Amino acid sequence: MREFNFTNPSTLDEASKILKTSDSSSALLAGGTDLLSLIKHEIIDPENLVNIKNLNGFDKIVYRKGEGLKLGALVRISDIAEHQIIKDKFTVLSDAASVIASPQLRNMGTIGGNLCQRPRCWYYREEFDCIRKGGDICYAYLGKNKYHCIVGGGPCYIVHPSDTAVALTALDAKVTIYSNGDYKSIPIQEFFILPEVNYLKENVLEPGEIVTEIFIPEPKADVKSKYIKFMERNAWDFAVVSVASVMNLSNGKISSGKLAWGGVAPVPWQEEQLNQKMSGLSIDDNSVEEFSKSLFENSEPLEHNEYKLILAKNLTKRIIKEIAAD
Amino acid sequence: MPQKIVKSKIIFEGEIVETIGEVSTEEYERWGANENLKVVGKPVSRIDGYDKVSGSAVYTFDKILQRMVYARTLRSPLPHAKIKRIDISKALKVNGILDVITFQNTEDIDWYWNSSKLFDPHLRYQGDEIACAAAETAELAEQALKLIEVDYDELPFAVNTKKALESDPEKLTGFKKPDLFTYDRGDFSKGISESDESVEDTFTTPVVIHNPTEVHCSTVAWDGGKLTVWDSTQAIFSVRNAVADSLKININDVRVIKKYMGGGFGSKLEAGKYTVMAALLARRLGRPVKIYLDRREMNLAVGNRPDSHQTLKVWGKRDGTITAMSYKSFGAVGAYPQGAAANWPFRTMYKCPNIKVEDQNVFINAGRARAFRAPGHVQGVFALDSIIDDFAYKIGMDPIDLRLKNYAEVDQVFNVPYTSKLLKEAYSAGAQAINWDLRNKIPGSGNGVIKRGIGMASQIWWGGGGPPAHAMLKLERGGYLTVISGTQDIGTGTYTILAQVAAEILEIPMEKIEVILGDTGVGPYAPSSGGSQTIASVAPAVRDASEKMKSKLISAAAAIMEIPEDKIKYNNGEIESIEDPAKKLSIADILKELREESLLMNGSREANPDGYTTNSFGAQFADVSVDTETGKITVNKIAAAHDIGRPMNQKTLENQFHGGILQGLSYALMEERVIDESTGQVVNLNMHDYKIPTVKDVPKIEIIIVSKSDDLVNNVGAKGIGEPAIIPTAGAIANAVYNAIGVRIKSLPITPDKVLNAIYKFN
Repeated sequence: MREFNFTNPSTLDEASKILKTSDSSSALLAGGTDLLSLIKHEIIDPENLVNIKNLNGFDKIVYRKGEGLKLGALVRISDIAEHQIIKDKFTVLSDAASVIASPQLRNMGTIGGNLCQRPRCWYYREEFDCIRKGGDICYAYLGKNKYHCIVGGGPCYIVHPSDTAVALTALDAKVTIYSNGDYKSIPIQEFFILPEVNYLKENVLEPGEIVTEIFIPEPKADVKSKYIKFMERNAWDFAVVSVASVMNLSNGKISSGKLAWGGVAPVPWQEEQLNQKMSGLSIDDNSVEEFSKSLFENSEPLEHNEYKLILAKNLTKRIIKEIAAD
Repeated sequence: MPQKIVKSKIIFEGEIVETIGEVSTEEYERWGANENLKVVGKPVSRIDGYDKVSGSAVYTFDKILQRMVYARTLRSPLPHAKIKRIDISKALKVNGILDVITFQNTEDIDWYWNSSKLFDPHLRYQGDEIACAAAETAELAEQALKLIEVDYDELPFAVNTKKALESDPEKLTGFKKPDLFTYDRGDFSKGISESDESVEDTFTTPVVIHNPTEVHCSTVAWDGGKLTVWDSTQAIFSVRNAVADSLKININDVRVIKKYMGGGFGSKLEAGKYTVMAALLARRLGRPVKIYLDRREMNLAVGNRPDSHQTLKVWGKRDGTITAMSYKSFGAVGAYPQGAAANWPFRTMYKCPNIKVEDQNVFINAGRARAFRAPGHVQGVFALDSIIDDFAYKIGMDPIDLRLKNYAEVDQVFNVPYTSKLLKEAYSAGAQAINWDLRNKIPGSGNGVIKRGIGMASQIWWGGGGPPAHAMLKLERGGYLTVISGTQDIGTGTYTILAQVAAEILEIPMEKIEVILGDTGVGPYAPSSGGSQTIASVAPAVRDASEKMKSKLISAAAAIMEIPEDKIKYNNGEIESIEDPAKKLSIADILKELREESLLMNGSREANPDGYTTNSFGAQFADVSVDTETGKITVNKIAAAHDIGRPMNQKTLENQFHGGILQGLSYALMEERVIDESTGQVVNLNMHDYKIPTVKDVPKIEIIIVSKSDDLVNNVGAKGIGEPAIIPTAGAIANAVYNAIGVRIKSLPITPDKVLNAIYKFN
């Protein structure tokens, strides 16, 4: 770890300017749960650490009935997990927040940081000069790829590690970004990018751009939602596969619904035609089974991760049945 | 003379060691059951508990000295290479750097039993030591290491054991292929001809890492020509000898101290290169040096449990009589000489007159194996108890009945009786605790998505301890007692148990007893703390010293009170006249009268009994649930029933069993060192990617001790428990998983992907 400048900007604009002028060798510090280990392990090597924890006004949870929910980028994961309105109306998000890492990490980590976190791929984290670090190849492609993606891969095969991103995708959230003195808001589906677009980063943020807020539109009346995260141990682990679902039910059928998956792709994964197929789906074993068979038709499992396909299908069946039974 | 030099046999980590040593020849009355005792066996809290919990206990890692500097190590990034050129000049320019040592500027010091050097320019695995830098801070030392320029000649490597077995070993490490181990008993072909049925299968186990909480570390300081080493070690005398030999100084010029330790599990049974590197740097700099490994280095370079690829075949009759068994295995010892054999349980656990064993050690270009909590047994029992279960199901017999049918009454390798064997009792107690009758009579026959299963496995280990092991007592003004021995408490409760033994005999309250261990400068010799032998070796020496101290007190009281010794009795820590109980002296009174500041007494472990083998036995039972849609295994309960002689302290006993069972559960379900085969580099060197259980993965654990005391083994009747605790856990869980889903997962760890693959290919 080499020396870096630590700056404490007092405004968003000041932070953005430092990030921009020093280009890629600056890093934003919010919760800091992963940033320091990235630096210590020399995965990134920033000249400037830009601390935005002290900026005012970005740590609020605001719900307006009929409009929706606004989460400041500095809202802590534990605050989301424990917020009563989120539990009631955006269950999938509090579910997801409550199973992230450990209580200590949830107390430190922020929603903005959770969305912008770097991948956990062990080749990326260890001393391999992999493609995401500017090297030539993805070692996972022909290597130890049990935890890697089954869809959307190439030329890098990471999975996106965020739990909240999967929940927010199912909720059709929007991400507000401070950019060049202005704010823009984009659908979360457009925030994350596949390696085929750019394998050096996981989202659209350009130098100087900062996520400031997440907006979730008011859900339909009587909506039900849930997040199921499958981990190899019962705490402090990333998802092998996770699934988020938001749906409305009537007369034993899904009237409308959304699904999103974590752990299967380099981004939170969603397939629009599956969401459409869900409308009108009967909640009986055969229909749900049939539906689950149509998942991930374009998947390309690697040598050691075919089981993720089985797992994702089974978790999808499970989440539909569990939501229907709630 | 109540002391004698004799030849005695002990078994340490699977090796039979004949020792000639000083033993006590006193024979003491056996204690009977713990109900007869006042202190021993009771759930006494650790005497160091408050210091540890409050954080005031100073572990080796906490040791800080004035003017101390920090040392960190540069390790090979490559699995196999020779150093072509090394240049430390840029490193030496870092502000605050003090020294850098390499093979170029230090003397040759032999290492790994003379197969290599402290700094060997021939690097045989990712993690091999290249250089060591000392600086004012650890961070500066690390910064300097990054500026060392090394050019390598890259050499061919193999990190896959199977591939290495087929390669020329001399090209991988320069070492010759290790000899094949073979063992034969009885008439193998006759055994086969007598059989009706047979089962055969291959089981594999992964390389796993010790990962003790406290990393390997030393603080070293020279005082003139004398060296003091604070080391996080399980073997203070081994460290002393290795350091003195390496530096070519007198043994008594090196003093090794280890007070508290955050675990070792076998990875701290040998002296580490890091200690000698720190001593060299300290001598060159004239300042104390602290050296430590970080978690990444811990996962690379301080040993591991070797992998195993075990093929077992069992032949037997339809009534369950096993008539022949064969075993063929290979496992990776890593890049330097070590053992990887796992066949001992196979040779002794179940009765079988005709057996054949072949076991091959294999060199690979990865971290060297070391003793790891029950070497060979954890992997061996998993395979053995899996194939035994398979045979039971094949002939339609209750797996416990099959084990009882083939119960080994004697040690089949040495053909001698055991000092005690209560395995039948363990089977019965464990079966009751787990509700054995609720298991699936047909594996996998349960309904629903979540399938439940019950399984069990057996345990065998040595752990009877032996001589030489000594202890000293110092009784001081006011009746305060200090127990001193050259053993070490590696976190298991040795301090407390030795105090309990002295308290039992001398009837001195625990609060008045201090225990000094882990210091070669003051303690008489006691063995390294491995092989589950500490208490069985040292507690009898403390009893010997205490009994002799008691006699001394009686003789002192006789002189002071002018009463014959036979008219005096020792009662509740006081010495009183039998005829006139009003005439009595406390221990404090005696010391005062004698005008002595202290009374001294030595004690020694007695010899092991001739004509016996001492083993501990047990069985663990697992109740698991398997989610057949996700492959997730939840261990609901482990019932552990063991014959470990006398339980010396119920609390520390349960602590140690809980730890062993969790480590076993982790081995069964989670842990595995993963190496990228194209580069030879380990990919999971942190505690997220190398998985161990969290508190939320802990099952219900029930510990049942079926033994009261093993009166033949030693004067306190204790056998060790550290290793027995872990041995059968993985085997029991694997058998429970099979019982739940009806598909056998033959490779550890049994992770969800393997379960799903097995279920979905099976269906």
